Amino acid sequence: MSLPERIEKIRTQFDSDLSKLRLTADSLEELRLKYIGKKGGISRLFRDFAALSPDDKRTFGKDLNLLKKFVEDSIRQLKEKLAENRQTDSGFDYTLPGFSFKEGHLHPVTQTMNRICDIFREMGFGTEFGPEVETDFHNFQALNFPPDHPARDMQDTFFIEDDILLRTHTSPIQIRTMLKQKPPIRILAPGRVYRNEAINPRSYCVFHQIEGLYVDEHVTFAELKVTIEVFAKKFFGQDVKLRFRPSYFPFTEPSAEVDISCIICGGSGCRLCKNTGWLEIMGCGMVDPNVFEACGIDPEKYTGYAFGMGPERITMLKYGIDDIRLLYEGDVRFLEQF
Amino acid sequence: MIVNTKWLERYTDIPYSPRELEEKLTYLGLESTVKKNPVERIEGVIISEIKEVLPHPNADRLQICRVDTGSGTMDVVCGAPNVAPGQKVPLARTGTVLPNGMELKPVKIRGVKSEGMICAEDELGLSDDHSGIMVLSDDAPLGIELKEYLGNGGASIDIDLTPNRPDCTSHIGVARDITLLTGNELKIPEINLKESAEPVADFISVEIENKIGCPRYAARVVKGVNIGPSPKWLTDYLTSVGLRSINNVVDVANFVLLETGHPLHTFDYHMIEGKKIIVRSAADGEEVVTLDGVRRELNEDVLLICDGKKPVAVAGIMGLENSEIKDDTKDILIESAYFDPATIRKGSRYLGLQTDASYRFERGADPEGVIYALNRLADLIVEVAGGSVCRGIVDNYVRKIDSAEIKVRYQRVNALLGMSIEPAWMLDKFQRLGCRIIEKNDEYVVLKVPTWRPDLEREVDMIEEVVRIYGMHVVPNARELRIQPNYYENREYQMVEELRQTIANMGLYEVCNNSLVSQNHVEFGLQNLKPVKIANPLGQDMSFMRTTLIPGLLQNARHNINRQKTDLQLFEMGFVQEYDPRQETHAREYQKYAILLTGYLEDKYWKYEQRTSDIFILKGMLQTVLNHFGIRDVEFVPGKHHHFRYLIEVRKGTALLVYFGQVEPTYLAKVWDIDAPVFVLEGDVNVLFKIADQRKIFKPLPVFPVIRRDVSILVAEDKKIADIEHLIWQKGGEFLKECRFYDLYTGKNIDKGLKSITFNLVFQAEDRTLQDNEIDKIMSAIHRTLKDKAGAQLR
Repeated sequence: MSLPERIEKIRTQFDSDLSKLRLTADSLEELRLKYIGKKGGISRLFRDFAALSPDDKRTFGKDLNLLKKFVEDSIRQLKEKLAENRQTDSGFDYTLPGFSFKEGHLHPVTQTMNRICDIFREMGFGTEFGPEVETDFHNFQALNFPPDHPARDMQDTFFIEDDILLRTHTSPIQIRTMLKQKPPIRILAPGRVYRNEAINPRSYCVFHQIEGLYVDEHVTFAELKVTIEVFAKKFFGQDVKLRFRPSYFPFTEPSAEVDISCIICGGSGCRLCKNTGWLEIMGCGMVDPNVFEACGIDPEKYTGYAFGMGPERITMLKYGIDDIRLLYEGDVRFLEQF
Repeated sequence: MIVNTKWLERYTDIPYSPRELEEKLTYLGLESTVKKNPVERIEGVIISEIKEVLPHPNADRLQICRVDTGSGTMDVVCGAPNVAPGQKVPLARTGTVLPNGMELKPVKIRGVKSEGMICAEDELGLSDDHSGIMVLSDDAPLGIELKEYLGNGGASIDIDLTPNRPDCTSHIGVARDITLLTGNELKIPEINLKESAEPVADFISVEIENKIGCPRYAARVVKGVNIGPSPKWLTDYLTSVGLRSINNVVDVANFVLLETGHPLHTFDYHMIEGKKIIVRSAADGEEVVTLDGVRRELNEDVLLICDGKKPVAVAGIMGLENSEIKDDTKDILIESAYFDPATIRKGSRYLGLQTDASYRFERGADPEGVIYALNRLADLIVEVAGGSVCRGIVDNYVRKIDSAEIKVRYQRVNALLGMSIEPAWMLDKFQRLGCRIIEKNDEYVVLKVPTWRPDLEREVDMIEEVVRIYGMHVVPNARELRIQPNYYENREYQMVEELRQTIANMGLYEVCNNSLVSQNHVEFGLQNLKPVKIANPLGQDMSFMRTTLIPGLLQNARHNINRQKTDLQLFEMGFVQEYDPRQETHAREYQKYAILLTGYLEDKYWKYEQRTSDIFILKGMLQTVLNHFGIRDVEFVPGKHHHFRYLIEVRKGTALLVYFGQVEPTYLAKVWDIDAPVFVLEGDVNVLFKIADQRKIFKPLPVFPVIRRDVSILVAEDKKIADIEHLIWQKGGEFLKECRFYDLYTGKNIDKGLKSITFNLVFQAEDRTLQDNEIDKIMSAIHRTLKDKAGAQLR
């Protein structure tokens, strides 16, 4: 068959294929391969064309190029049509849910602790740890709890031996830090603490505490106030109001308790705040001179403040959790909510 | 401590409403809550008189009372043992709702119609007494509402006292704090005691053996009293703070306690033998029966009040039955003493008994308040119960308790607070607190603090007084936060949080378990650390500190499986303890991380197969953790333990980094009641951190294409994948960049005893495009070595 005949035959064949085509991605690809693929009809024509004499090339070159362009254009148009079809294809149900990836969850108390530590880190507080099993010296005596003092009743204690106990607060970390480091000291002490209290919706025998300590020359109560206010506004929101009221802790003097305006009712009174409009969030105060003396720091030269709060309580307030035991059960229906 | 506003007003003028007072006291450090007066809740109960008591025709224990309501009579069926004609009683008529929520409906009791109910104190919410109906005094006016008759109309305020404020365990003490705000005068009741000619010394002497425990003991004798009901003013005050009237003498003793804060004790004088009081320590094992009818065994920590022959009171805690005031008591011995706080606290703790008296003594009573309280009580006993007071006081003050002298530097006050408060303001407040000025100048003042404030010992205590009176809430915030450069970074803290996040990122949920555990927790697993034992646990199931985190996770698994949550991926991080007497705290603490997997890893999805938790998923999670911390070249060694079906120990050198495996199903079923396969892992955080290598050095991105080849071979089934991989790397040369195992097959078409395995290899050069024939050569070398060294057949 001569070249012009072959050109004509392929054109006819292509027209016929085109008219019979059921347009799908696969059939279109088949069509493309058949004509302009590496081993397709038109590609073969071009290979034979190379062997023609210059005159013949001139005569048939144009026809061959036209054929190629026609096939390419047709296929491109079909491709566009196919894409259009796909977008409006009623066979695709776009309401099918996507694959559900399992997201991990940090425990809500961990999340609270991380946030608290982040805020205080911005204010220059480093982080320190200490042992959960402690000596009476670090947990009580150095913190100005004399033996047989009623203040010890405030913290029901688990004992291991006479002078060894489970720490009732993370304040012993303050003592350990002040014993090994000279002021200025600016630390946060997070960790587990233990109280010998019956388990019920309001209390649990194990919980966490975050304590802060700042010791330097000329540290004032006014500085303590602003530090706590910065924290409270960042954590609970810009609108939150604070109230400091005097309290008693053996290791601080003066001592204060800090309330925030109720995060549910804003202060007008509701069930959460027991109609007082206030929620207690932490204790704080100026480091008692006896504590400094127990740590070999001159209380005339240095002053300092300390504060401590319970991440469990704050977590419960934040999310409206009404039973502390939920935090320790590991119930996935609870954990996946946070 | 509950105070009543009307009662407080006896001692100072209060220009505040109860709500205002609540807030002001709270700002003073006396955390207050206004309580609904129990009397105010009683609605629709009227005072009636029982005219007749008739037997019930159908019940022996019931009676029909015909009562006069002031506006008519009605019949009420009553079962109380103490009803009698002529009594004035509270009557709730049909339709009334009582404070306990009970609504009275018209009823027939055993066939007799009852038009109301005569109430007991518990039904009115006044106390928990249900021994009989409440009987009012004879002069109670007929027909008026009970709430108008009872109580004094003041509000009750509940104060949550901090242990440093024994002075505020009384109305006078709280009133004194209020004068700090109002500037009004504090009015302490005057006493005009009339004494008889009989000297008290004829009736009693006091001998103090334990002078540490009892620095001061004073006594008076009142003769010829009539024990009987209290007058209304007295019961009204007691009711307003939640106390029940007992008899006139006991009631005034309680009144003086709540007025002055000083605990007093009254004895029936005729039960005191030998005209003598001896204060001594109890002997070990000595037994007494206290007022509450309980027989108690004592030890040497307990201080006893004895007469010439026997103990008559546990000092500062509770009297004994043998000498209590009875209805026929005529002569009374009054004790007013100062007991040592630590002694009372030890005794109270030993006995497990805290009373109004012990609460005050262990916080510190006022040693100089002893005589005032004694005289006040003697005076009031005569007023309400008659009798005459013997002349004089026996006052044995053997160890002087003095208050502190404190130098307060004005500049220091303001420096600590960050304020500038005027010295004159401070001086005024110090004096109102009861401090005496010993010396003063422009820079400081020396104060003698009152004996009722044992908490004021140092300058800083006075600074606290200044700021609490000034108002902590009005101290202005400092204008700047001074932040010193801190060069130290707590790397451990950061790595802990990184590890936590890395594990959570794989879809796991973090739990937080109790670290107080039972025996079967500390017995779990292969490490068997000696546990730290709690001497006073909450219960047997919480008597150890945990030594491993895994049992806690198993407990979580059981909890969730019991709630139909069977697909679990949980983890925890926390400390475990090992008993080690060589440590300062007798314990070593290790921070651990642990993972538990069971059930499906993801929800069902129409397109993909659901993956199930297994040992390879768990190992993959571990590899992610190890990769994160740059840990390579660890050894996986098979382990053996009866709690595990499969156990793999991961070692780096000699250190055990992690262990993981499948928990033995029979153990799981028996001890934890779990039927599903459970996979667990536990590792030590510090061992992990010690070998972590998180240095990261940038490598330029490759510019030349890669060549991928598969190695597919048949090898004997017992050949380890890791060994084959090792052989491939040996021959892979410098261009081999990756060697990833991805297929394992045994069974159909594979000869028995063989397995088919496939690795995908990636080759790449840094400086040129590799040629196929170069790689072909490397592949032949790999195939040859696999054939020679592993007996592999090429597929």
